[in-house]
Amino acid sequence: MTALIEARDLAKTYRLGQVDVQALRGVDAEVAAGEFIAITGPSGSGKSTLMHILGCLDSPTSGSYRLDGEDVGTLSGKRLAHVRNRKVGFVFQTFNLMPRLTVEENVALPLKYRGGVPRATRRARALTLLERLGLADRVGHRPDELSGGERQRVAIARALVGEPAILMADEPTGNLDSQAGSEVLKTFAELHAAGHTIVLVTHDPGVAARAQRVIQMSDGRVV
Amino acid sequence: MNLIESLLTGLDEARRHWGQTLLSLLGLILGTASIVTVLALFGGQTALTEQFLSEVGGRGTIIVSDREPSAHPGARELASKRLTFHDAQYLRDRATSLTAVSPGWAQQLSYRVGNTSFTGQVIGTVPAYMAINDIKPLVGRYLSDLDVQHEARVAVLGWKYADSLYGRATAALGQIVSIGEKSYRVVGVLEREEFYFAAWENNALEYRNERAYIPISTAITQYSATDHLDFLTLKARPAIGGAGAQEQVRSLLFARHGVEDFDIRSSGQGAGQQAGQFLLLFNFIFLVVGVVSLVTGGIVIANILLASVVERVREFGTRMALGATAGGIFAHVLAEVLVVTLIGGLLGLGLGAGLTGIVAKVMQMPAVVSPFIATVSLTTAVSVGLVAGLFPALRASRLAPVEALRYA
Repeated sequence: MTALIEARDLAKTYRLGQVDVQALRGVDAEVAAGEFIAITGPSGSGKSTLMHILGCLDSPTSGSYRLDGEDVGTLSGKRLAHVRNRKVGFVFQTFNLMPRLTVEENVALPLKYRGGVPRATRRARALTLLERLGLADRVGHRPDELSGGERQRVAIARALVGEPAILMADEPTGNLDSQAGSEVLKTFAELHAAGHTIVLVTHDPGVAARAQRVIQMSDGRVV
Repeated sequence: MNLIESLLTGLDEARRHWGQTLLSLLGLILGTASIVTVLALFGGQTALTEQFLSEVGGRGTIIVSDREPSAHPGARELASKRLTFHDAQYLRDRATSLTAVSPGWAQQLSYRVGNTSFTGQVIGTVPAYMAINDIKPLVGRYLSDLDVQHEARVAVLGWKYADSLYGRATAALGQIVSIGEKSYRVVGVLEREEFYFAAWENNALEYRNERAYIPISTAITQYSATDHLDFLTLKARPAIGGAGAQEQVRSLLFARHGVEDFDIRSSGQGAGQQAGQFLLLFNFIFLVVGVVSLVTGGIVIANILLASVVERVREFGTRMALGATAGGIFAHVLAEVLVVTLIGGLLGLGLGAGLTGIVAKVMQMPAVVSPFIATVSLTTAVSVGLVAGLFPALRASRLAPVEALRYA
């Protein structure tokens, strides 16, 4: 299996007023295609920072990072947007759906940002994914008409629509009740079984246990 | 995603929440409405002034009169005979820029018919004066060349004088009137002339109804016995225009007099300006109101947009996570601003048109919202929106994705 993610000695320092906060203090990470990884640790351990860097939402202060064979540490803002659009699918704790768009429009949004994808194709791919995630009867609804579990599955459909190399989820069950949470986790398990690469951030050991491999963080380091 | 697609996305999403944005557009709407109203009223007033000028003989009508003598006149001034009959003949021969020259004589004399008497203006002139000033008889005729040749004792009465002397304007025809203790036969009564700059203004042409015209030859022999004139009424050749003709007349008369002891002005100049004073003030107030509301509107829009950008920072963060570029976010915000200000501008235009209609009706003033006015006001509204929206758009697009996502 090829390494999809190859990070070496990642460090991230934030400046909070007069104080420098070291969120990451030299982290190595490797994720192979098809893996299901959980990054876990107490709050402030740097797990979210690591995921943001791996998802190209943030850049490391030092260290090198290759995503799918491309050195993303050196890319410009515009190229990074391109990488995020094509290689990474994000699922957020708070779903982050566009409240004014319908379910179908929300799912098709990454393809709209990709450019050059005809409207009919965008629509067809959004519908296919929504069907696969059991939301075929919700396409015309607005996010606020859905339950939390449904919203998160819409967000997963949106993350998958661009056929990314890797699916990243930041506390995807954090805002869900246990039943909806376990349904979402079941979806992740199914996606993993279908060959998707998944990196999931959680502080919940129960959720982490569903993953193939766990990266345990503490004080900005992998333990 | 290209620029056009970003614009379309922004447009599409502005459409979905324009109700809430509309309230924030009130300043813009009111500002646009005020500007539309000012321009429409101003346009109407300009048209009215044009109309007045054409009533008093058109733009090409020029009046020459004696200038007040200076306190310490020089030799040339003392030597000058001032405006004379010969000046009129000289201009007729030499002034190529003129189509008509009419010498004029004016004096205040007593009018009397039976027991009714008063003092009023008498104008001594020639037939050309009628053509120049667009005067039309209500009954009878105007002065003829024959009247001037024979120094005939005939008079043409203005409507008001005919009416007050004989009880009914038309009854004056053929009657005898005593002017300055001399008897004249009334050969014509002129149409009543009226012009109102606004409903509350007096008849700007009333002075024309309060006078009598007699042949200039008669006036000079009966009352002054010199060939001195009080004014000249001239008509400029249309191809040359009033200003060019005035210049030629000025240099010709200067050559004859050796000194500038005369004044040249356009007919209707004074009257039009006076009547326009109030309207000018009125327009100025409206314009100030318009500009102030537009500026306030712009600030309010910028403020609301900044606030809504803050509210929506996480949304932009999400969009960036999904692959939106900084340029895409910028275009998105700007497109929303554009659509929203355009809607505001259009509503302002509608409100302004309504306001114009009401003001025009209440104040009895002509005012029209022309396509030009619509274009100007819409452009202004959108420009204000663009300037106001630029900063929020720039701010939104400058955020790093992770900062935007964490924004609380």
